[in-house]
Amino acid sequence: MPAKDVVVRELAKMVGPGGILHREEDLMTYECDGLTVYRGQPLAVVFPSNTEEVSRIVKYLYEHEIPYIPRGAGTGLSGGATPMGGEVIVSLVRMKKLLSIDYENREAVVQPGYVNLKLTNSIAHKGYYYAPDPSSQAACTIGGNVGENAGGAHCLKYGVTTNHILGLEVVLHNGEVVRLGGAPDTPGYDLLGLLTGSEGTLGIVTEITVRILKNPQAKQTALAYFDSVEDASHAVSDIIAAGIVPAALEMMDKIAIEGVEKANYPVGHPEGVPAVLIMEVDGIAAGIEDQIQEMVEVCKKRNVREIKVAENDRERAAWWANRKTAFGAMGAISPDYLVQDGVIPRSRLPEVLARIQKISEESGLRIANVFHAGDGNLHPLILFDSRNEGETELALEVGSKTLAVCTDVGGSITGEHGVGIEKKEDMRLVFSDEEIEAQTEIRSVFNPHNLLNPDKLFPSPARCAEVKKAVKGSGGVKQAVSGP
Amino acid sequence: MIDALKDIVGEEHIQVLEEREHPLGNHAPYVVYPHSEQEIASILKLANKQSLKVIPMGGGTKRGLGGVEPSGDLILSLQRLKGIIEHSVGDMVVTVCPGTTMKELSASLAKQGQMIPIDAYWPEKATIGGVVAANDSGPKRIRYGSARDHVIGLRVVYPDGRIIRTGGKTVKNVAGYDMNKLFVGSMGTLGILSELTLKLRPVPPFVSLVLLTFPVDALAELKNFIVSIQDSTLEPFALEVLSPTLHEKMNQQKGFGLAISFEDVQKAVEYEEDWLISRLPQGVERHILRQEEAGQWWSDFTRLPPEDTSYTSVEDDDQFEIALKMGSKNLYALDLVERCHQLGEQQELSVKAHGGAGHGISRAYVKGSRERLLAFVQDMRAFAEELGGYLIVQHAPLTFRQQLEVWGQKPSFFTLLEGIKQAVDPHLILNHKRFVGGI
Repeated sequence: MPAKDVVVRELAKMVGPGGILHREEDLMTYECDGLTVYRGQPLAVVFPSNTEEVSRIVKYLYEHEIPYIPRGAGTGLSGGATPMGGEVIVSLVRMKKLLSIDYENREAVVQPGYVNLKLTNSIAHKGYYYAPDPSSQAACTIGGNVGENAGGAHCLKYGVTTNHILGLEVVLHNGEVVRLGGAPDTPGYDLLGLLTGSEGTLGIVTEITVRILKNPQAKQTALAYFDSVEDASHAVSDIIAAGIVPAALEMMDKIAIEGVEKANYPVGHPEGVPAVLIMEVDGIAAGIEDQIQEMVEVCKKRNVREIKVAENDRERAAWWANRKTAFGAMGAISPDYLVQDGVIPRSRLPEVLARIQKISEESGLRIANVFHAGDGNLHPLILFDSRNEGETELALEVGSKTLAVCTDVGGSITGEHGVGIEKKEDMRLVFSDEEIEAQTEIRSVFNPHNLLNPDKLFPSPARCAEVKKAVKGSGGVKQAVSGP
Repeated sequence: MIDALKDIVGEEHIQVLEEREHPLGNHAPYVVYPHSEQEIASILKLANKQSLKVIPMGGGTKRGLGGVEPSGDLILSLQRLKGIIEHSVGDMVVTVCPGTTMKELSASLAKQGQMIPIDAYWPEKATIGGVVAANDSGPKRIRYGSARDHVIGLRVVYPDGRIIRTGGKTVKNVAGYDMNKLFVGSMGTLGILSELTLKLRPVPPFVSLVLLTFPVDALAELKNFIVSIQDSTLEPFALEVLSPTLHEKMNQQKGFGLAISFEDVQKAVEYEEDWLISRLPQGVERHILRQEEAGQWWSDFTRLPPEDTSYTSVEDDDQFEIALKMGSKNLYALDLVERCHQLGEQQELSVKAHGGAGHGISRAYVKGSRERLLAFVQDMRAFAEELGGYLIVQHAPLTFRQQLEVWGQKPSFFTLLEGIKQAVDPHLILNHKRFVGGI
């Protein structure tokens, strides 16, 4: 590998002197993503403006065997964009254009650095929207969403990112540019599906064609307060079993509610209420009332304390702001917190929540639960104080334990945040060595020298000494800014 | 080989085929019927060691799709590996054995008010394993999506006998690569699906099918009408354009057909019907089918593609039927159906075509002489590619498939496809030369 100054000089030739950061103080921001527990220093950060530049950069890095990481807004929550040390970060933030909108065919073409929410904002006047809505949607990029196969609050009815990607332009590991998709079921293996959620280990996406949807004619949102988490979780399964497909079905428990009510977007949830369900249905107006009514009936059978239906868009927006900022809201009730992202068959909710409660009691750390109940996608928020000796390590351990509970009931270690660095070892909770090998065999086809986002996503054969070192040097856990 | 196979599955589960060949190809002297995943693994291990060519098969409805070799060494039939392993109603998820037919699966799920939202062809024969492996779908994918959107977990027997789980049983899951996608539509060239887990949907409370007839010269009105539906807040579950020949066969009407399906609570469906009726352009005939009647229509629709039994002899060059699948941007489906119809008229071929104006998949069933069929495929492929789409020959006799590229030209990223095949099936034992570019 050439010396750093040579690499910087060569890259600067491709993107201009203003298109690269390399001084130590400039690189600090890029030491981690939304998961701040792990940190590493990149060699440089380069900002290409178009596909050709990405291709040239990648070709150079490939020829000189320099590892690199594609990066969007850095809102990821599993360390996927965090350097292990010495990688070149290829930041796509300058490629942020909305290239075209085709309403008749219901698709839009964007560059990877285009921010998720901007798409919906740009097409709203015509009554259209882009469905995947991670909580960080005001900041996160669609390129990053593709890398992580991002979810959001409305996946239950509308699916996750992979269900909305129609085509990709990709720069392969050697700098070659290919186009995938463009028409449904294009002949060949589904590379579009494989690349979505590959966490930047299979190629760099430089253009994305997404499906856009027409806004539903009507929407209704209701809050249902329960006197026990158990009743609320049973209501979730009952709603699904009754044949209703809500657009969203979210839950917050007592500690989470305490947090959101003390933070910036309180909506007046009753103090001390053990659980709230946020239920949303959408579709043809004439059918909505019946659906909400049916959900109310189900909740009543599960001893609901109170149900409120949003009276207007403003009230609905307030409820969603309250929910979507729940992660950050934990800052109001705890110096630090760690976000987890387990997923379970939704019918196992009551049991799993009880077991997480037990882990909390045993460890002495409070755990707030705020999650996509309809998808069985849990987000236990482990509250701790990094100033207390050993508490960071304890929080990490508690996080892992909650994941073990999820996999124990047939679930998985991540529903939408990805594996990144954080859950590399936890992959073993889900997959056998042979199954992990089956995946790395595929990685080798796209990324034969493991230069693309190296040492992420899969456990190392020897257990990650370097990561533990990084934890030690990080100076504790900072708060994540936002998250799904 | 045969003795080793007998040891694995027992003599009574091996069928020796008298016929040397099959008009559709994808043939072999033996059919082996494993009863368990373990037996599949043993068979594949044996095949891998001896470099035997294995042809996986479910109900045999995709036998005419891909493949240029007349025969392999053995057909591995999944037909006796059937049944539902688990239907978790509260999770809206089912785990099922690959040899279960779509009809059996639907019947069982319906008892709990749920369904698998893939409206595949020939549901009485097609198995869930085959539908997923060949990525079959019908008009309702406009709203429900296709197999890639429903499969959340698989158990796959690799050529070397490894049993690999992909995905899981949860509706959201991003642990590792989304390996499910690799196998959906892989045409059995990578592994044998031994267990499938899929997301379900509730059976809709009320179903209606609005059938419209547009005069043959009113295609512009048809397009405008479709655009206005797509730009409205209606939620059609099918928006399928039918060519005049097909419309006449299905609905005994002359002109282009438009089949619009609504599935929701009754009040919502009625609102949607009224919306349509009040905006119908002049001269457009309408006919509405509801509930069971609509179901019967869709059931007839699934029997449109030619069956494998419709070929009696490889030598029969006079007249045979082929099926084509085309993919494009949504609205171009209209252009593709129109062109199919025109070409059929010009070339005196019987062409029944339909296309999803909201999902971009079009299909044509064309009957005629070999020469004319070849010309038709060539013309339509060129047209589809001009529109940025593609054409594949979904069903045709072996000798016809040998005369053209069933899947079209190799894509620019072919080395990736080849690399994947090499990584998973290095001895090329599974469905050799069946897929794109001969992988």
